[in-house]
Parts: sequence; structure tokens; C-alpha cells
Amino acid sequence: MLLVLSEQHKGHLSFMSSVEPEVVAEFGRIALDFLRRGTSPKIYEAAARKLGASVEQVQRAVEGLMFLVLESCRHTLSETDFLDSILVLGFSQELNNTLLQLYLQQSAQVRPLLAQLAPTLPNYHSLEWRLDVNMSSRALRQQLCPVTTLCLSLSRGGTGGSERRLLQARPATLLHLLSALEGALDTLKSSHTRRILRNIK
Amino acid sequence: MRFRFCGDLDCPDWVLAEISTLAKLSSVKMKLLCAQVLKDLLGEGIDYDKVTKLTADAKFESGDIKASVAVLSFILSNAAKHDVDCESLSSELQQLGLPKEHTTGLCKSYEDKHSALRERLKEMSLRLGRLEAVSWRVDYTLSSSELRDINEPCVQLKLQVQGAESGASETTVVSVSAEKFRVLLCELKQAQNLMNSLQ
Repeated sequence: MLLVLSEQHKGHLSFMSSVEPEVVAEFGRIALDFLRRGTSPKIYEAAARKLGASVEQVQRAVEGLMFLVLESCRHTLSETDFLDSILVLGFSQELNNTLLQLYLQQSAQVRPLLAQLAPTLPNYHSLEWRLDVNMSSRALRQQLCPVTTLCLSLSRGGTGGSERRLLQARPATLLHLLSALEGALDTLKSSHTRRILRNIK
Repeated sequence: MRFRFCGDLDCPDWVLAEISTLAKLSSVKMKLLCAQVLKDLLGEGIDYDKVTKLTADAKFESGDIKASVAVLSFILSNAAKHDVDCESLSSELQQLGLPKEHTTGLCKSYEDKHSALRERLKEMSLRLGRLEAVSWRVDYTLSSSELRDINEPCVQLKLQVQGAESGASETTVVSVSAEKFRVLLCELKQAQNLMNSLQ
């Protein structure tokens, strides 16, 4: 598939045709850092001073380049698709190749980064448990009531920390939970699931 | 094949695979590695430089080092968890393919630290919040805006508890009147008698 670049985007990227290819590679590095750590105005100011351009032009060029790489990685464009998409910008062949090299180098790193940005549900981290017997309480003496206390540790992928949930379960509930989970695992072996897994591969 | 140190379940496949990695070490080096892993399990931290030096002779890569530390951790902590005695552990490890000298070394280290390991595992067990500190004060109320002469004692209790879900320290302050406090004290003494009778 081809990327369709908006007019504004093309305008921002046209700045790149006026600079050397090494500078384009440098812009690419700044763009990748942007994804990982964010950016600082100092970098743009230093680049603008060296190139004799305004800070805004440099910033827009870098952000335009970053957006181009992001969109290409999101759709996993092949080399030919990427080259066709940037043909419309009217860059020189050398610049096109530089951009292509940039895209190929960075696509391996950008895709895992993008995967982390998706919203996540809390993930199972670990389960601690203890088995107690309730022998007596203020209300009733002489009882024998086994109770399992579970501490479920959940983590949110990426930035979020972990949370702990405390639960208590009687043996009957625990057995029911076990059989429900085993039933869930057994559906992996059903023919319906196998058909789907075969088709995904 | 059911193994006692796996809690009467099958031995995981990765343990079987990594036991052959362990067999590449000399038995002396393995005993020293056991000592390091035991230090880690007892909470004293592991010295990775020493571990790297110990495994350098057998030319372990970083993946092999991690695997051998993991498998020793698994064997020792599970054996302590299920309270496996030395001879059973030794025979089961030899069944899995660990050479005899290695097994003897491992079991000797395990036996030395057996009770310390069990104590540490008991400490690490799940607890629903712990009582950290109690402080109290007995006041005597003379009068208040509602009633001129009260003349009654009351107790202020400050309980510092480690929260169950958050793990942070939580402070609760309550003031208890004399009758309520007598009831509380009586009930707690009954609970204490019950606990003592169980010990």
C-alpha cells in the first residue's frame, strides 16, 4: 500500500532537500530519540545554527521525518512501497536512498516501541497464597473453617507500576476456580481453536 | 515421574535440561555456586562477579550462568518448601542425571542451611498487613462543652499497621471509653488464651 502524505507534511519535509544527506541521517537519529525519550529545544537550536535555518523549520522537518517513519512502520511498508510513497516529494535519488536506509534501520526498533504505546489491561504478575484455618472468632468458638487468602500481583505494561489485590476463597470456591481455569486451557485443544491457530500461522 | 522435591509433580522440562549444564561444572565449583545461591535465597544478595569467576572455567556464557543459578534456586527453594530430607533429594537428583559428587555437594549445602531456609520462607509468606507499633495514652476528661462535670478516664490508642494491599505504613488513632476498653481487653485476653492453648 502507499502512504498518502498531506500537503502540510510535504511542505515540512521539503526542507530536507536543501541539506546534506549526513544531516538527514542526523535528523533521523533525533527522530528516533524523540520516540524513546522526547526531545529538547537545545538539539533543534544547535542544528538550526549549524545549517543557518530557523528553529521552526528544523523542528518541522524532524517531526515530519519522524511521522513518515512512524506511519511506514505502522503499516510495515516494503521497500518499494516506501520509495513510491516518497517519490511524490520529488527528492533526489540519493536522498531517497538515505531515507530508505533510515527507515530500514529504524523499523526494527520502532515497532516494539509502538507496541508498548497501546492501552494495556493489567497483566498477571504473580500469585501468593496462604492456607489458614479459622478456629474461633469473637462470635463463635470451636469452629474449623479452612480459608485460602490469595494475593494477586498485577502489573501494567510499560510505565504503570504494580498493584496488589487481596482475595479470600473457601475450598469449594477454589476448586471451582481451578476447574474453570482448566476448562479454559482445554479449549486450546479443541478443533475450532486449532483451525484458527493454523490459519494465523 | 513424580518427584518429592517438585511437590509430587513432574519435574519441569527446563530443570531437566539445565541439570546437564550444571554437570559441566566441577563438583567443587558447584558447591561454591550452591553457597552463593543459598546466600541469595536467604536474602543476603548474590555476588555476580564471584559467580562469573566460578563458571569461567567451564566457559559458561551469560545465558548458561543465569540458567544454572535459576535451576539451583529452584531445586533448593522447592526442597525447603516441601521439607524434603537429604537422602530423598540426593536420590531424586541422581535419577535426573546429576552426577554423584555434585549431588553430595548440593545436599550437604542444603542440609547445613535447611532450617535457616525454612525460617526465611516462613517470613516471606503472605501476611495480611502486620501490626508495627502500638502506643497508648490514658486521659481523664474533666468537662466539655456539652456537660460540665464528666470525670471519666479514656484511652487513646495509636496503631501503626503495614497496609495489606498497599504495603505502606498506615496509622489509625482511636479513642476508647473505659467500658468499651474493658470489653476489648477481655476479648483480646480470650483470644490470647486460645492462641496459647494451640501452641
